[in-house]
Amino acid sequence: MKLADLAQQRQDYSYAFLDAHAKRELRRRILKAIAIPGYQVPYASRELPIARGWGTGGLQVTLSLVGPESVVKVIDQGADDSVNAANLRRFITTMSGAKTTIDTLQATILQSRHRIPEEIMLEGQTLVLQVPDPEPLRGVTADMSKAHQLHADADYGQMWLLLYEQLVRYRQYIQGASYPSLVNGRYIISPSPIPRWDTPKLHQAAHLTLLSAGREKRLYAVPPYTNVYPLEFNDVPFQVEDQKGWVCKTTGVQNKFMNELPQEDGTSQYELSDSGYANKLADTAQSGATYYDDQGDFYHAGYLKPPVIPPI
Amino acid sequence: MYVAARGGEDAIQHAEQFYQAMLGKLTPEAIQLIQKQLPFLLDKVIGEGSLYSPELAALALAQTGGDVYEAVLLLRAYRSTQPRLAYAEPVTAGEVLTVRRISAAFKDIPGGQVLGPTLDYSHRLLRLDVLDGIREDDAPPAPQAENPAPPTYPVVADWQRSQGLLPALDADQTEPAAVPDVTTDVVLFPAPRAHRLQALARADTGGVLALGYASMRGYGLIHPTVNELRLGYAEVGLRHPVTGEVFSAGRVRVSQAEVISSGGDDGKSSFQLGFAATLGWNEVKLIAASTLDMEMNNREPHPAHEEEFVMYHTEPVESSGFCIHFKLPHYVTFASSMDSVRKVISTFYTNDTPPPQSNHENMQQVQP
Amino acid sequence: MAVPAYTPSEAQARDTFLALMWALSYPGRVYTLPADGHALSLIGVTLLDLETSYFTPDAVIAENLAQTGARAQPAAKAAYHFYPVLDAANLDGLHQCSTGTLLYPDAASTLVIGCQIGIGAGYILHGPGILGQQTIQLDGIPADFWLLRSAVCRYPLGWDVYFVDEQRIVGLPRSVQVERSST
Repeated sequence: MKLADLAQQRQDYSYAFLDAHAKRELRRRILKAIAIPGYQVPYASRELPIARGWGTGGLQVTLSLVGPESVVKVIDQGADDSVNAANLRRFITTMSGAKTTIDTLQATILQSRHRIPEEIMLEGQTLVLQVPDPEPLRGVTADMSKAHQLHADADYGQMWLLLYEQLVRYRQYIQGASYPSLVNGRYIISPSPIPRWDTPKLHQAAHLTLLSAGREKRLYAVPPYTNVYPLEFNDVPFQVEDQKGWVCKTTGVQNKFMNELPQEDGTSQYELSDSGYANKLADTAQSGATYYDDQGDFYHAGYLKPPVIPPI
Repeated sequence: MYVAARGGEDAIQHAEQFYQAMLGKLTPEAIQLIQKQLPFLLDKVIGEGSLYSPELAALALAQTGGDVYEAVLLLRAYRSTQPRLAYAEPVTAGEVLTVRRISAAFKDIPGGQVLGPTLDYSHRLLRLDVLDGIREDDAPPAPQAENPAPPTYPVVADWQRSQGLLPALDADQTEPAAVPDVTTDVVLFPAPRAHRLQALARADTGGVLALGYASMRGYGLIHPTVNELRLGYAEVGLRHPVTGEVFSAGRVRVSQAEVISSGGDDGKSSFQLGFAATLGWNEVKLIAASTLDMEMNNREPHPAHEEEFVMYHTEPVESSGFCIHFKLPHYVTFASSMDSVRKVISTFYTNDTPPPQSNHENMQQVQP
Repeated sequence: MAVPAYTPSEAQARDTFLALMWALSYPGRVYTLPADGHALSLIGVTLLDLETSYFTPDAVIAENLAQTGARAQPAAKAAYHFYPVLDAANLDGLHQCSTGTLLYPDAASTLVIGCQIGIGAGYILHGPGILGQQTIQLDGIPADFWLLRSAVCRYPLGWDVYFVDEQRIVGLPRSVQVERSST
């Protein structure tokens, strides 16, 4: 017998890049995150060969989940063919041998920056959202230790005050993306910089959502079938982006989230932000069920309410 | 339908080829030349990359055309895949094989001021004659010393401790393996001092300098005096797994700085020390970092000198990565904010009384 | 560049982790652990290393867990608990085991408990991961366990529990409310 027979074959990198030690840590943290929906679990966060701030938080979670039989979809701003999405996808497949797809419904793991797809995700699917800033209270306090204490005490008064001030000044909530939302009645989260259009999709979803911030070293979860409510006063309901009348120039579809394309003549054209969905419509003219129907009605009836502009 | 988006991948590949075409050829000779010619650049990258390997640091610099942040990222990403085989024995300043050791606090110190290799007192004039073909090695060599300088020097702070000017050191018996490790632990605040010093050791030189300089200019609460600045080589002492004896596995270039200021807060002594050390020789970073170390101990430092602020904002990989991430498309979030702005405008335009102009200018979201 | 090898130990750890993750994501549903090896030890090997700690009253499992490098700790201090059988003596230990703190609820203990799934007392679960309600049957869990759980687990504090019956596993995160089913 030779020594070489006993030793493991030398490998430049572990399977899925992360070594066993790093994977175990992430996995322990993911389980805690699922058990405490919306609580930001601190983790060590390893460096990856991708620049920090470019999705390394989401990537670490994906790498701790992925296997050879996984089917991975990666999108950035809704698009599969964005260079950043292509780059992350290439890294995941090179390191894991996983298959890739642009079809939301075929994916076992869907890593995304800034969007949740239009088609309703299914049980057993995992949505991994890349998070630049996990702290929804940053606007109230930039100090992480103080924000952490506010979460511990469920002391969210200042967040409500912030919303109230918006109503006083602008007669509406003016938060764009990353709309702060209350998870399972306990923790306020940043749902990552998804548009408000996508925030309701986290509520009572069939799939698991894991959110991870690599630089900030925090990960949190929205488990399946969990209540997620955007912060709103009872008499001034939360509103998604108003894109009524915007028609996709290639598919003719309406009432899905659109990219606005400024034209030279000063007008705008529109196209579907979800490129996988657009491809599906172009290829087969069919898709899975969508969160918003053709009339723009959300699939949980009554969850979204018509706008109310409070009087001055 | 298992289709990857080919267009994006082609673009990435071509962009990388374009970038590589701008650089010199990657050859072992080129790497060796960088290693020989640019030791201080290597030291900066080694310190921030927190991986001691001049050869890999030179490779990283060659591969990135000298983009320091990219080189540091390459080293960090490689480092994070390497197994941890053993923990080295702690090194004390008195044992470091020292080539430069100065103190600004005293005219002379036990062991003497050792200037070592430095440009501190040289005229910074461009050597234009080199361009005319005068070779560097035509210059006369430095005269040989009659007696070699001693390899080690006493520690200035030990003298102050013996005088009762600084508190005595606790003999810290912590096992090397039990020292908190900022690269594998969760970082929480207040952080253990080990995390703080490790973060400073890995910190971005420019970032540490900016915050340290702000303290020195008067935003800070202390006036630092360089008690001791030391450049040298440290033995990497490992414990033999069978015999238990400590042996040297090699030497690494290290540097450390201690700044001193009056007003220790334990009530017994009237001076306090700030400390920083790093792999490689990087004096400006350490003077700033040791100032910050002391600044963070103050009860109410300037917000820019709070522990969390310093540790987060001087992390080179994270700060540079996040800064350049703004090159990524943000059209979805921008669309969402345009929607809000348009709604506000339309709300007020449909109203008879337009809002004061300042409201528009000040309209800010909770999180942009 | 070739894809790094998916070694048997990688595969086993990942399959075990996925069973744990889905069991916790959809509480009350039954998932399957890899077939090779003792289920409780398998979970231990998947989650433990020198960064964490464990407690188990079982000598064989203790021997397996010791090889992970994790620290053996008394029940009051251990992060991961492994009980092949939950008897009255173990319940005393559970009194002391951590439910986390409001600042760090993730510091709470994780309990892995052997029992029989699909027979015995019925329970109705409500909460995150459950559409409407979910029913399970478990045998070998003393009634005092449930009393203790509702007494000490004040959300967001509480234990996260896995019930294991050979290769079958059911998750019960702290976020889920449990009632005895009347049927």
